[in-house]
Amino acid sequence: MKKLRSILGNSGAVLTLALAALTPFLLFGWFQSAIGAAHLHIDPTYSGGEISHVIERPGYRIVVNRPVPRRSPLQRIGPFIQLAWTPAAALPAHLSDDLDLDGDGAPDVRVAIDTHNLVVDVAPLNARYRPMHSRGVTSFSALIARVNDTLVVRIPLD
Amino acid sequence: MPDRVLPTPRRSVAKSLLLTLPILLWSLLMFSRAMMQPGRAPKLAAAVTLVFMVALFFQMMRTLETHRWRRYFFVALGFLFPVGFIWQLFAIRGSMSIPVERMLSGDTPFCFLAIPMMILPAAIARTVIFPGSILPTASNPHAIAAMVAIWLAATLVLGKGWCSYGCFFGGIEEGFAAIPKKPRIRRIDPRWRWMPWAVLAAIVLLSAATLEPVYCMWLCPFKAVTEYPAVRSFETAVQMGIFVTMFVALVVVLPLLTKKRTQCSFLCPFGAFQSIFNKTGAFDIRIDQSKCTPCVLCEKACPTMSITPEAVRSGQPLMSCMKCGACVDACVRHAAVWHIKGTESGASSERARLMHLYSAWAFAVMFGGSIIAGTLEKLFGLVV
Amino acid sequence: MPLTGLMTEALLLGVSSGPVCLASCSPVLVPVLAAEQKSPRGTGALLAQFLGGRLAGYLAFACLAWLLGLSLQLQPRGHALIYGLADLGLAIFLAGYAWTMRAQPAASCDQPCPAARVRLFAQRYKSFASVILGFVSGLTLCPPFVAAGVRAAESGGLAHSLLFFLCFFFGTSVWFAPSVGLGMLRRFAAVGVVARLTLFLLAGYYGYLAVIVLGRVFFHA
Repeated sequence: MKKLRSILGNSGAVLTLALAALTPFLLFGWFQSAIGAAHLHIDPTYSGGEISHVIERPGYRIVVNRPVPRRSPLQRIGPFIQLAWTPAAALPAHLSDDLDLDGDGAPDVRVAIDTHNLVVDVAPLNARYRPMHSRGVTSFSALIARVNDTLVVRIPLD
Repeated sequence: MPDRVLPTPRRSVAKSLLLTLPILLWSLLMFSRAMMQPGRAPKLAAAVTLVFMVALFFQMMRTLETHRWRRYFFVALGFLFPVGFIWQLFAIRGSMSIPVERMLSGDTPFCFLAIPMMILPAAIARTVIFPGSILPTASNPHAIAAMVAIWLAATLVLGKGWCSYGCFFGGIEEGFAAIPKKPRIRRIDPRWRWMPWAVLAAIVLLSAATLEPVYCMWLCPFKAVTEYPAVRSFETAVQMGIFVTMFVALVVVLPLLTKKRTQCSFLCPFGAFQSIFNKTGAFDIRIDQSKCTPCVLCEKACPTMSITPEAVRSGQPLMSCMKCGACVDACVRHAAVWHIKGTESGASSERARLMHLYSAWAFAVMFGGSIIAGTLEKLFGLVV
Repeated sequence: MPLTGLMTEALLLGVSSGPVCLASCSPVLVPVLAAEQKSPRGTGALLAQFLGGRLAGYLAFACLAWLLGLSLQLQPRGHALIYGLADLGLAIFLAGYAWTMRAQPAASCDQPCPAARVRLFAQRYKSFASVILGFVSGLTLCPPFVAAGVRAAESGGLAHSLLFFLCFFFGTSVWFAPSVGLGMLRRFAAVGVVARLTLFLLAGYYGYLAVIVLGRVFFHA
């Protein structure tokens, strides 16, 4: 028994040495691929949620995401819906869009944006949404921000 | 005082060089790509780092000591990582603060300290509560999958030895702890050792409940030397105040006063988490009762209070042992020795040390060495 | 709607909401159960006290839902006020609970000295603290809770409302049963120390949240 334990112990030590040598050539790549294949996704609080539909406008598109609800009573970031105007470089200085957010064909909010100064005003067109005014980032669930070549707006839902 | 101090032998230069050869070859392999880059700065940085790492290993072989030489590497890593990181932040965006835009685009580099908080939400809902990206992109090479892969590999190889060879923050407080000759505060209530576990439990439970990385948002002292949410409100100002206070208190002041790694010993939840993997590692430290007096030199030398009278009686340090080698080097009677699990205590302790060091140093060259070389490249780029 | 249909709906809603309830209650429940270091049976009794308090919170909410007859989509300020007060309550109780862990049960004492009185108070406090912690946890307005509240308000009649919430409660409680296993950790004394320290940390966190949330309610109106 003692001898078996000793053999196993020494084998473990040799294996550790081998693993150290294999890390940059094999292990790192394997582990990274495995994690990539694990169907993980960034929490919608940070990613903005899945894309629901795209609204086409002359010269630009508006990507409407699914609403991100509050999933825990202790969650501090409130529920919101994320919209993205792209490409940001093609946007006029001021724009106003009546947007259908829930895909039912009727406009839900009117969004007015000063694209140069990053100011957004949201006027609700139905009772589900609240008015919002944000210059830059008010909070993580109420903001307007330039992200690469996209203008991201988050409208709070409570 | 011990009644008989055994002399510490030294290995011959020839034998030491021979034992260093594998590490020299490994280092040449690891830095070969940097050596082939255009410009003098990357070549010089790679060469300096290679010589540094190989020289330290040679000294470990020659003097039969581990901790002192390992500490040079670890302190260099601890101080050069923030320099290189902050340099890069200023180069890209002119500030250490994380703009919301970067979080929204998934470009926030992932830090290994966040790993324990990610586990429950990822396991239950497949959601990663961090504003980064899963796989590396051009704008974010430090993606979640990459950092977790490094951590997994390091954990297999080092266990909690990560805290002595991998953590690019631990070297800062190890550096400050090494400055004074003697500690000003000698008595520390041993119950404080349980605080990292309490912090780990609190942040894991709260992160799963709030779906946000609570430690990163409220407690991490290393935000003071990396990146932090922009101070725009009372809340973010308080957060910044906590980060700076924790850093100054636990990483600078208390190590200077106690000569211990106080952040690691009394706060770091990742360290507590890594302690679990001390059970899976192949190497550990044993204390030979037949040789131990006890003189408590090992207890005084341990930077994380992992050696207690009870631990000495049981023959091994607590599970918080970082495998830094301080106790082995401090023990004048060679009672504290390196050990391969499963084998007889005391037998072939030098072989155990060598095998551990080859694994640990190979990882250190690959990971820490690349960080050191990266920062040196930036610094040398200013002059060459 | 027939009674069995209502009960089934409530039970299923509770089971599907259970993970959210467990995740949001765990920061309070897990350290409390671990700190007591009781056997699995003792831990089960403590869990029952906590769940009893939680049920009381749910039923109190059910009565409110029926009395008000609202959908309980509170204005953000009302929402924040309830959250802030619940956080404050949790912070105070958690800190107190952790403190009572230190106080030993009152030893036999000829004269009622102040120390003995404090110990007796701590012992009595400990026995109802878990119920109160459960009650406060049950008051959180988590989305499934609000959905259940909406449904309860629509169910017609106080009895139906209470029955709905009772079934919802049992559905969520299924997920709490495995926490009885924490009793098996009682042989590790360190678990008790860690759990008590965790309670203090959590008290600090909830206390700070209460300051922030209530500060926003009263100063940013």
